[in-house]
Amino acid sequence: MDGTTPSIDFAAIGHQDSWQNISAFVNSIRNTGQGKLSCEKIKDIFGFISPKEIFRIKARSKTGTEINGVYIETFIDPDKLHSQFVRANINKVLAAASRAKRLGSKMVTLGGFTSIVLEGELESLSTRETKFTTGNTLTAAFIVKGIEKAAERLGISLHQSDILIIGATGDIGMACANYMKSRANKLLLCARNYQRLEKMAGQLVKEKIKIDFSVRLEDLLPQAKIIIAVASSMDIKLNHCNKNVLICDAGYPKNLENNIIYKKDVHLFHGGMGQVSGGYDFSPDYSRSIYHYEAPHLVHGCILEAMVLAFEKRFESFSSSKGNITTDKMEEIYRLSMKHGIGLAPLYNSKGLW
Amino acid sequence: MESVIIQSLKKGELTMEEFNVISDIFSQAITGELIGMSNFASLAETIDDPHEKMEAVEHANSERMHAEGFLAYARKKNLKINVNMNGEYWGNVRKQFLKYAHNRDFTACLIIQEVMLESFAISMYNDVGHALGGEAGDLFISIGNEEKEHLEHSSDLLCAELKKDPAAFESKFEEIHFNCMSILAEFSATTDLRGHCGVCNGDCMKGSLHHVGLDIVTLRGNAMAIYEEALDNIGISGEKSIIWMARLPA
Ligand SMILES: NC(=O)c1ccc[n+]([C@@H]2O[C@H](COP(=O)([O-])OP(=O)(O)OC[C@H]3O[C@@H](n4cnc5c(N)ncnc54)[C@H](OP(=O)(O)O)[C@@H]3O)[C@@H](O)[C@H]2O)c1
Repeated sequence: MDGTTPSIDFAAIGHQDSWQNISAFVNSIRNTGQGKLSCEKIKDIFGFISPKEIFRIKARSKTGTEINGVYIETFIDPDKLHSQFVRANINKVLAAASRAKRLGSKMVTLGGFTSIVLEGELESLSTRETKFTTGNTLTAAFIVKGIEKAAERLGISLHQSDILIIGATGDIGMACANYMKSRANKLLLCARNYQRLEKMAGQLVKEKIKIDFSVRLEDLLPQAKIIIAVASSMDIKLNHCNKNVLICDAGYPKNLENNIIYKKDVHLFHGGMGQVSGGYDFSPDYSRSIYHYEAPHLVHGCILEAMVLAFEKRFESFSSSKGNITTDKMEEIYRLSMKHGIGLAPLYNSKGLW
Repeated sequence: MESVIIQSLKKGELTMEEFNVISDIFSQAITGELIGMSNFASLAETIDDPHEKMEAVEHANSERMHAEGFLAYARKKNLKINVNMNGEYWGNVRKQFLKYAHNRDFTACLIIQEVMLESFAISMYNDVGHALGGEAGDLFISIGNEEKEHLEHSSDLLCAELKKDPAAFESKFEEIHFNCMSILAEFSATTDLRGHCGVCNGDCMKGSLHHVGLDIVTLRGNAMAIYEEALDNIGISGEKSIIWMARLPA
């Protein structure tokens, strides 16, 4: 970095989960006379591109503070988000992390899948100048606050509801379970690994929390009044949901809506999202091709966590290793985000705003 | 362990398809090296400084030696070699180079020869070397390693150039990228976007690369990745390079 480069308060490392979005972005960059590239041609090259900064971000707090950020794309192939490509994906995330450091970023968040491939172990990435966070604490906070808001709107009482968490043993799943354990009637925990589920359930039983757990989603679905889906999986099928079930879909890739068998009386929203009331700008401004939300200035909780920490000048690894998100920390980062005018996103799903 | 191709080569047991595609690969490599040799020779003519002039001639000689190495192997194995420096792609790259050489634009020449062409050579020689294995593979890999040194050396020089006047340097690089990388992008697209290259003996070899365990998508992707890495090392920002890459023909 030379003396004329503005300092980078935060960097967001991310990935794409749909070829449709990638095509729209690539073709928006091409000159008008050049013609569009087919998705197949884009697929031929996308995964070979090395992680790099794509655009700068300027975000504004309601306190009047401005921060400078950068978005670094990992160029992880959306068709290769599975465990069989883990080595290649880890290399891409590590290359993106080095890039963020080289650019002089003070705070870096690993968005969505990029923190998952590192199994949430970010401690070793942080240096004196650059701190890394998964952003999962604010994401979890937005998920549970979203559930509270939606439940109130639908007249659903949390205390009387059994809440199913799909992906319960994950970083965000555990955080949601901890938050909800004193607020719900009962927790229903689902994940694929039985041992991890059993261990988590054992802990909650010791705390006298009412729970049920299973690796089979079908066993738990009939009881669930509220569902928090925080597993990164394409194979989750919600057969036989309860009538009037409330679902927060916060996992990626986003496809839960296509996998719900009984769509009638299902109230689904995309969770973990916040809204920046002070707004933000991209440079170059790719918002027309990359911004697909129905409301302005929506951002993923994980990116917002880095922004909030940057507004606060608290350059620290707020969420670093898996399983350490406490309810107090969720409340703390949520409070700080509200201070800067970053609130819960309006409730929406793929069909638009609720 | 020797690859199947090399064992077959030794025993004279290559299939016709394997023989043809290996012949075409060597033809492309030899033509490319001769283009490099001629480029440096042309560059030497434009340079006044005696040391730099000698360096350019030395570079030309090193490319000549690479061409000699490939030719010697091809002769030994009776490969069918076709050299054509005036074909659609190689000829146009050479024309681009000469345009800048005539203007005595040393930086532009370095960008074309040492960054663009060398990125492709380093990557493709490495991929071909690993696919062929044995003596042929070693030859490609060792020549590829020498080209790598050229790229690293020139990246340092270009990085220093960028620091002197970033805006002017980036705008010059951008012009050369679209003039020259577009040709290489068309050349390496899944189908030749401007017709036959004039080097392959029969039809375009891209459709036959699988006979030796290669495919054009991976060859092209890896080559573009090395080029991008070079842009990065020189100091071109990601915001710029992604636009440059997205605007290439494919
Ligand atoms: N909205 C946002 O801003 C935001 C931000 C960050 C992350 N996210 C998303 O949130 C999700 C969770 O992130 P995380 O960091 O908590 O991930 P994580 O720690 O890897 O946890 C994933 C959880 O899902 C479970 N799981 C995976 N596949 C499953 C399946 N087919 N059925 C049931 N359970 C399954 C895993 O357990 P088993 O392996 O035992 O099944 C684990 O409990 C991810 O999709 C991530 O992309 C969203």
